[in-house]
Amino acid sequence: MVVCIHLPRFELAVAAGDHAHIAQQTLTGRALAVAPQAGAEQRVGEVSGAAEARGVARGMALGEALARCPDLTLIPSDPVRVAEAWQQALCTLESIGAAVEPARPGLAYFEAGALRALHGNPKATIAAARRALASSSKRDRSVRIGGAPTRFCALAAAMATRSSRPLILEGSDARRWLAGRPVGLLGFRKDTAALIEPLTRLGVRTLGELERLGRTALADRFGEPGMLAHRLARAEDTPLCPRRVEEELRETMAVGDASSGEALRRVLSVLVRRLLARTERRGRTLRAATLSADLLAGGGWRERVVFRQAVADPERIWLALSLRLQSLPAPAAELTLAVERFGPPLGDQGELFEETSAITHATRMREAIAQIRTVAGQDAALRAVCVDPDSRVPERRVMLAPIPD
Amino acid sequence: MTRQLNRPRPARVRWRDGAPARVDGEAVESLRESWLVEDRWWTDRPLRRRYWELVGTRGRNLIVFHDLCSGRWFRQGA
Repeated sequence: MVVCIHLPRFELAVAAGDHAHIAQQTLTGRALAVAPQAGAEQRVGEVSGAAEARGVARGMALGEALARCPDLTLIPSDPVRVAEAWQQALCTLESIGAAVEPARPGLAYFEAGALRALHGNPKATIAAARRALASSSKRDRSVRIGGAPTRFCALAAAMATRSSRPLILEGSDARRWLAGRPVGLLGFRKDTAALIEPLTRLGVRTLGELERLGRTALADRFGEPGMLAHRLARAEDTPLCPRRVEEELRETMAVGDASSGEALRRVLSVLVRRLLARTERRGRTLRAATLSADLLAGGGWRERVVFRQAVADPERIWLALSLRLQSLPAPAAELTLAVERFGPPLGDQGELFEETSAITHATRMREAIAQIRTVAGQDAALRAVCVDPDSRVPERRVMLAPIPD
Repeated sequence: MTRQLNRPRPARVRWRDGAPARVDGEAVESLRESWLVEDRWWTDRPLRRRYWELVGTRGRNLIVFHDLCSGRWFRQGA
């Protein structure tokens, strides 16, 4: 059974965390929204229930949101704290033994069947997850939990429950129950989000109505996303893909007067050297890092940097990161550098004897694949395998298969 | 996870004088070849396709097929 953990309005609650009076208003029905980031597209982030009731939605243009709700209170976005709080919540779930697949801040899944030996039946596992979340943070007590045979069903269940009691669906009940749920749930999947608007225009309100349209008709009208939506509506989904747990290595420094410009770049240089000097690194290279800052004016800024190749040279790392500092929207109060993914423990020493071109080619290929996977996920690099090259049916000739590590 | 390559994609085909005249809005310049594929006729899900290899007005090779079981049109790479 797949368990869906949903922390409603997570981003808003975290962003409002520093503003105690506003945090109270979140509960007392004020219209709130996370403000757009400086320099980014001017669209509001997560919104409170009161704002939603007045027609404001996540992703709406700021001008339109203010026109619909003139007394909308904007809270400075804080991607740094959101990322930290979400990481803490994921670690809490992992502490009960769960292999977690994070979808976005406030939404994650794990497989309960694998934890049977630790906690017993799915209900006991869900209770353990709830206890762990509640004890780690007061904010996480409002968690909504759904359990179902597939990821999408579990999501629908978690969205439907309005109390602290989990909603658990089993077997064929799940499909029957799913039929009555709104098509808006497809918005939680990137591949099917674009279908909501045309489906609503066509008068398709529930997943049951969507399923009755038939796979052929949906494929004809919407192509691949239509077929996926049909599968989801039939309570079918792909298996979970849990995240890889890596140790956390970070360095933070209060920047004082060096809040921007050349002085801030020098602070970054110190952070890079400190991070590389940490013994926990054990000679490993860095493949991806996160640079974040607490801003003097409030809020935060966060950038993920994937290096072109796994590196351990402080100059090259500094060069790649310092370019990102240019997108800092306001003077910083504190700068943090964290390792997101380690590379292999290879030195950048020159070769005494020239390698054969075959070895060089294989090494470069491995490196390229690792980079692609870091940027775009595990399934981003696949190889074509000839299965039946003489088949008269073109789609049977070649398959895409994972490349072994 | 394995994935099929070259999967058929739905296509809008306009038919005229016994051959496709337009594929997804692109007019057909010339017809190169046509062939029939029949397979799995011994199963519950037989496969019957009439393939057409065409050249569009933009100079591209287009391969489309008419699924003779469902009556729908698809396009496919080479």
